[in-house]
Formats: sequence, C-alpha cells, structure tokens
Amino acid sequence: MNLLGEKKLKKLVQQIFSFSKADQTEVSIYTFDHALTRFANSFIHQNVRYENILVNVRMIIDKRIGVASINSIEISDLREVVKRATKIARLNREDSDFVSLPKPQPIPKISSFSQSTINFGSIDRAKAVKTVIETAKRSNFTASGAYEIILSELSIANSLGVWAYQPITSASLSTVVSGENSSGYAFELNFDTSKIHPEEVAKKAVDKAKMGEDPIDISPGEYDVVLEPSAVAEMMDFFSYLGPNARVFYEQASYLRDKLGKRIFSPKLTIIDDPLDERGMPMAFDYEGVPKQKTILIEEGVPKAIVYDSYYANKYKKKNTGHALAAPNTEGPMPGHLVFKPGKKTTCELIKTVKKGILVSRFWYVRMLHHYQMNITGMTRDGTFLIENGKIIAPVKNLRFTQSIPAVLKNIVGVSKDLVLQPSWVGAGLFPTIFVRKFHFTSTTEF
Amino acid sequence: MLFCIMSYFKELIHHALNTCEVMRVDYADVRIVRRQRENIAIKDGVVEALESTESFGFGVRVLRNGSWGFAASNKLSIEEVERIVKQALIIAEASSFTPGRKVILAPSQSVKAKYKTPLKIHPFKVSLKDKIDLLLVADKAEHVSPKIKISQAFYRGFWEEKTFASTEGSYIEQEIIECGAGIEATAIDEHDVQNRSYPNSFGGQSQTTGFELIKSMDLPGNAPRIAGEAVSLLSAKQCPSGEMDIILDGNQLALQVHESCGHAAELDRALGMEASYAGISFLTPDKLEEFRYGSDIVNIAADATLPGGLGTFGFDDEGVPAQKTLLVKDGVFSDYLTSRETAIWLHDLVPSYNKSSNGTARADSWSAIPLIRMTNVNLEPGAWKLEDLIADTKKGIFFSTNKSWSIDDRRLNFQFGTEIAWEIKNGKLGQIFKNPTYQGITPQFWGSCDAICNRDYWVIWGTPNCGKGEPVQEAHTGHGASPTRFRKIKVGIGGWEK
Repeated sequence: MNLLGEKKLKKLVQQIFSFSKADQTEVSIYTFDHALTRFANSFIHQNVRYENILVNVRMIIDKRIGVASINSIEISDLREVVKRATKIARLNREDSDFVSLPKPQPIPKISSFSQSTINFGSIDRAKAVKTVIETAKRSNFTASGAYEIILSELSIANSLGVWAYQPITSASLSTVVSGENSSGYAFELNFDTSKIHPEEVAKKAVDKAKMGEDPIDISPGEYDVVLEPSAVAEMMDFFSYLGPNARVFYEQASYLRDKLGKRIFSPKLTIIDDPLDERGMPMAFDYEGVPKQKTILIEEGVPKAIVYDSYYANKYKKKNTGHALAAPNTEGPMPGHLVFKPGKKTTCELIKTVKKGILVSRFWYVRMLHHYQMNITGMTRDGTFLIENGKIIAPVKNLRFTQSIPAVLKNIVGVSKDLVLQPSWVGAGLFPTIFVRKFHFTSTTEF
Repeated sequence: MLFCIMSYFKELIHHALNTCEVMRVDYADVRIVRRQRENIAIKDGVVEALESTESFGFGVRVLRNGSWGFAASNKLSIEEVERIVKQALIIAEASSFTPGRKVILAPSQSVKAKYKTPLKIHPFKVSLKDKIDLLLVADKAEHVSPKIKISQAFYRGFWEEKTFASTEGSYIEQEIIECGAGIEATAIDEHDVQNRSYPNSFGGQSQTTGFELIKSMDLPGNAPRIAGEAVSLLSAKQCPSGEMDIILDGNQLALQVHESCGHAAELDRALGMEASYAGISFLTPDKLEEFRYGSDIVNIAADATLPGGLGTFGFDDEGVPAQKTLLVKDGVFSDYLTSRETAIWLHDLVPSYNKSSNGTARADSWSAIPLIRMTNVNLEPGAWKLEDLIADTKKGIFFSTNKSWSIDDRRLNFQFGTEIAWEIKNGKLGQIFKNPTYQGITPQFWGSCDAICNRDYWVIWGTPNCGKGEPVQEAHTGHGASPTRFRKIKVGIGGWEK
C-alpha cells in the first residue's frame, strides 16, 4: 500500500473544508492496508488483504450535528459526503449541551511506525506461521492462529485549526495450540514485526498445552486466583467502559459515581492511562485531534479521575483529557492505554505464595451481567491450573466465573513486576499477573 | 462517481475473471458491494447520533493448487482490478507454503439471477425527519417517573447492493434491505440501576423488510409500560437461586438458539477452522445423525428463505441458493451449516454425507471472505398456547429480554441473563425478579425442553451483530422462536449486592 502522507491528507482535508458551509466542521481520514494470514489444523486456510479509506465528516450548524462517511477520496465523492452531512445536520435537532469542537493544541511527535512492518509481506507472514506450526507439530500438537498486519494513517482536522496526523503500523501473532485434551494460547503485539518472535510465541503456547494435558475435574466455588495478563486485560476493558467514562459517570450509572477519592480497592492497585508510553502502542491524539493526556485512574486503591472528551468536558466544565472516540460516539470517552504499576515479584514468585488457588491463563466470552455493579461472567480457556502450596499441581477443566470487578480489584493481594502488552477495545495496555482472593467460579464445563 | 453504472460493473467483473482464468486458477469469484447505513440514536430528548455511512468496493477470491487467496480494494478501475487479482494470486501462493488439506469445492450450479428484499415502504425513502420525530415521541413517552434517568430510542437502516460472479459462470445481483428500531428506559436510584427495552434489547428488533416494521412496533405506545417496569425493577426482589422450571420468552429464546445451536452447527467450527478465535464445537462429525441434542419435540432449522429474517437472501456469497436445512430433527442432531469447501470435507470424514453446500457462506462486506454463518436458525413452533403453558407450570420463572450471554468455546456451558423475569406460582404469573440469570450445559438443557408455544407466538427476531472470524466479521442473523419451557434449570447465578 502507498501511504497518502501528511501533505496529501492535509490538502484533502482543506478541500473538504472548502465544500463546507457549516459553523464547524470536523474531518477524519483513516487509510489502511489490512493483511491477515490465518491457520488452523496446522496449515494456512484463510489468507486475506484489503485496502480502504474511511472519510468521516461531522458538521455542526446551529448546534445541530450530522455525521456522514464515505470510503473514497474522489473529489465528487468528497463533495457528496459533505452534502450528505450538511443535509443530516440541518434535519437534526439542536443539542443545547454542545459547546464547540476542540481548539488546536500542540501534539507530541511519537514513533508508532516501522519500516520492517511495511516490508513484511505475505511470504514473510507464511514463514512465521510455518515456524509456529512446525514447533507445535514437533510436540504432536495442532496449531491454529493468525498473523495480522495493519498499516494505517489517521488524520483528524477541524475548522478551528486542529490538525493531527499519525502513521501507525501494527503486527500481531496469536496461536492456540491444541492436543487431545488440552490447549495453550500465546500472543505478541508490537508495531515492529522484528520484535515479534514466532518461535517464542509457539513455545509459550506449546508449553501451556503440555502443562494442560489430562485435566482433572474441579468443583466450582470460591477460590484464590492468579490471573495472567490476558485475563486481566479482558476484565479491565469492562472496567474502562463502565467506570471512569464521563458519560456513564454523570448518568449516575457508573460504580464510581460516588466513590472518587475513597479507597475502595486494594492499596496494591495503581493504574494510569498512559497513551504515550513507548512500551505500549502509543497514540498521540484522540478522535477529535486532542492530545491524549496521561491520567491517573486509580492510585493505591483510590479511584482518582475519570476521562473526558470535548462534549463531556464542556458540559461538566472539566478539562478535556483527550479520550474521544470516533463520531458519532454514543458510548462516551474511554481510557484505552492502561498501565498497571508493577509489583515486586515475578509471576513465578507470586504463584509460590499461593496456598491453594487456580491459575487462569485467559478468559473467554466475558459479558456484563449488571453495568452498575460491574458484575461479569465468562469462561476460562486455554490453560487453567490448580495451585497448592505454591506449586502448579494439575491442570483442571474449564470453569465459568460470575464475579464483581470491584471485588476483584479490592481483593488483589499481589501484582507481578512483569507487565505484558495486550490489546484493549480502544488501544493497548500493559498488564500484570495479579493474585486475587475470593474469586467466584459458578459452574464447570466438560473439557 | 462512487456508484458505478451496471455496465461498468460487468466490465470490471469480466476483466477480473478473465485475468484469473488467464492465470490458470482452479476457481475465482468476485463481489462488488455497495453498503449504505443510517443510524439514529436518541437519548433524553437529544439526537445523540445521526449518521449516514456509505462503503463501496470489490473483493476477489482465488483458489489455486488447492489454496485460497483473497484481496480487496475500495477503488474500482480496470488497473485496480488487475492489481488486486495479482495480489490475491500472490497470497494464494503464500498459502501453499504450509502443506495441508487442499481445498476442493462441492459442485454448485452456475446461476444468473436477481434477488431483492420484498418490502412495502423502502426505509431509505422515509425522511430522516419522520424517523427522528417518531423516535423523539417514543423517547419522551418513557419519562413516566423521576426515576427514569435515561431514556433512549434507536433506529437502524441497512441497504446492500451486491453483484457476485464466478469463473463457473454465475452472475447474481442482490439487494438486501433491513431496518430496525427499539427503545430502552433506564431507572436509577441510590442503590441500583435497572433497564428495560422494547421490542428487544441492544438496539431493538430488526428484519429484512421495509419501514412498515417500525410502524408496527408502536414504540410510543409501549414506552410507558417498559419504563414502568424499569422503575419496578429497582425495588423488585433478586431472582432466587436454585433449580426451577423456566419459560423463556421468544426474544430470549432466539439468542439461546443462536448461541447453543446455531454456532454449534457451523461446520467450519466443527472442523477446527475457527479454533484460534471463536472455538470449535462439541457437535463433532461422528455425532451426525446419532447424537441426541434435545428432547424429541425439539426441531431446529436453518432457513434463508423465511420472509423478514435477517438471514434471508436469494443466494449466499458462493452463489448457492437460499434453502432450508433441518439441523436438529426430533431432538437428534441431523445436519450442519455448510459451505462448498466444508461439505466435501465432511463427506471425506462421513462418507454417507453426500450433500452439497446448503448455502450459508456469507461475507460481511466487500473486503471480507465468506465464512459459514447462520442464516435464520429457528426453533420450530409447537402446540401450546402461552396462557395454557403458564397455567400448566406449578412453580417456575418466566424470563424475558436478553441482558447478557456467555458460552464456552465448544458451545456447552452457557449462562444467560435477562432484563426481567416473573415468578410463576401455581400456574399464574406473579412478582417480578431483578437480575435474573440461568445456566446450563447445551444438550442437557435442550433435553429438558418439554413444551413449545405455537405459531401464534412465533416471531423471527433479528441479531444484527454476530461476531466471528479473523479479521472479525459481523453477520446479521435471524431466529424464529416461541415461548418455550425447560424443566429443572439452575437459576439465580452468582452473588449480588443487596
């Protein structure tokens, strides 16, 4: 794919502004080239690549807002999308809470782009996948998974002078390695393919699958648990959406609605939303072109802050923290780059402190039961183990949990010092392994 | 211009297929798709979202030496078609890097046809003003109490025009139109937050039909009742825990069927092709026509010909005609959802299986490959009247309107929650319960099914957001269901704050 580049995108945006007669206009253009090599039963069975451009136009006319999008940068199509957005805005009702689109602020330059990823083609993906498959086969396991590459550019501009541009490369390799009665999962994510190691990904999954062979039955109930980073990340996606989200908070539907500033979680818990952390997948600005702010969400168990976009910041007279999602956004602003403060012990050292508990590699099919109480349910998957007296003594069959997230965060007794990069719904973060007391498993399954 | 005239489409398609044939592929197909969407979201009297999206592009799928390659682009021109075909071929070559099963396609007749969703009022021809006015009235009607803190109303419109052609000579033009709407009221007090939706949760009810569906919903008329229930839930008792007989309302049962049968019957899952993401299936090929999935009154069919279903079309994205397939017959697992590739694979594993694809290969856009997806997967209606079924139930719980859903990666252990439930005591509906949940293991659950309501209560519910595949795709599926009873089910799962 040929990236359009900042200069050309700026020119396109100026052209779109020239077609608009709205009071305020916002344009976002997202260009991307998405390739994915997928494998199952130890061979590549699906292999795809597509290129697209998304042009999103938000118009404001007398506080009436209309949004239209198109996937073309032909001039006639850009005129058409402006016309469509204008028509929609004129038909809309006034939103009296709308104040203004954001004004320009300096945006830091960050590195989120790798030439090695751009050059990583279909044969390279196939070779990496072959490495994973062959590693699995040597241990008589079957491999499935995907190697995904996304090359993209995001540009946001508005008629008040905001201009933000970031080219991004993203590479991820995931695998589930399966045996007769066990499976293991591994995943690596980076913006640079040279930092993705297929041999290590394969080995991690194979080791888990070996450890998981011949799982025993286990009764559901209350257990101490050690949750690995993938499980922690999955749970924290729900926390991010339901907790420090200004929309949910001010609607009085957030668990945190009357708890900011009070210690309600474990003092071992400190979480910062840090979109610029270079260990992660840094993102300099939000979907309104506002520089993303580092925000302390929880400090030593005390929820400190919630995140805002321009709409909610204006409505509640707070500082915009740069957490807007793409318009029209009905979900509210969300943190997407959580970074846990690490503890002092490695994961292995944490496990050694567990008298009796369950080690969970990963959660699956997690859903909310109750938004306000932050109750969730889901399954364990791809490696669940019984720990006794600090040792992993047996793999167990998968369990269903029904659990309150605030109770988990309150009952954290250990945080690992190793942090692992995991994707989140709106970004990626750095997550530890956590040791939690009194976790509730409510049923089991047959494998 | 974004929207090309039909003769230019044909030229591009022929050029793509000719290029593929020159490059000596085993098979190739091309899809050109234009999609338009309208979304309206109202909250507390404010139009929170008013959006129109348009997407247009084409995708080329090639099979060479038994390996697939797929490439797609948003630019339509002869040069781009040539570039994308070459890209697809390079990708197919890379696919053959890892030796494995070579793809063979089950035979399919080449077809030249057109299909369009039958409807009375085209939803895209109804003015946005009329739609907004309707939703605002419904939204306002939810404010029956100061405890209603959030009122919402939604509308979605979807219009897809696609052309499919293959090197086997098929040329199919289809126009699929959908619309949907709903309302949701959220009641909040110092201790709790509860919500109620109508006619269904998560955006309401959608079908392949015209705006007549929206008119028939009477959103404003139902808003006060729904909001009143949300308020009542704040002070309702928590759903008790234990083992009970349950009746699932059709709108909840639809999702039960989707998760525990529809997905389990996807042959690609059963063959391990989705192991890395969505998982596999406990319905392994050795179970075909042998395994007792449910009681003998349970009949579950996939039917893409059903008027109004979100999974209704003329032809799937391999050019196979829409059809009906019985997945569970008299409680016995009898067939899968199949594609051309997987039907042959199944025959290799189960030589007595001689069927071709049953037309469930569907792609969610021009930029995606077709995967096996549900069409309309339905529990066939039974014989009961609902009032008789309730009267026949001594002690139980009636669950309505889905709130949460979760199932393991082989489709066995599941747990569902609904917005509301009613106690059934001595054959009568009684008090409501809040936070109702139930849990089960799929074949045991369906084995406990002992009564299904009749066609008078049968509605085809729409699920417009079923996720599967890598990159993930979103399918629109339909599920016909009537209220149904299950005996001795675990209810009231987990601990809840008082």
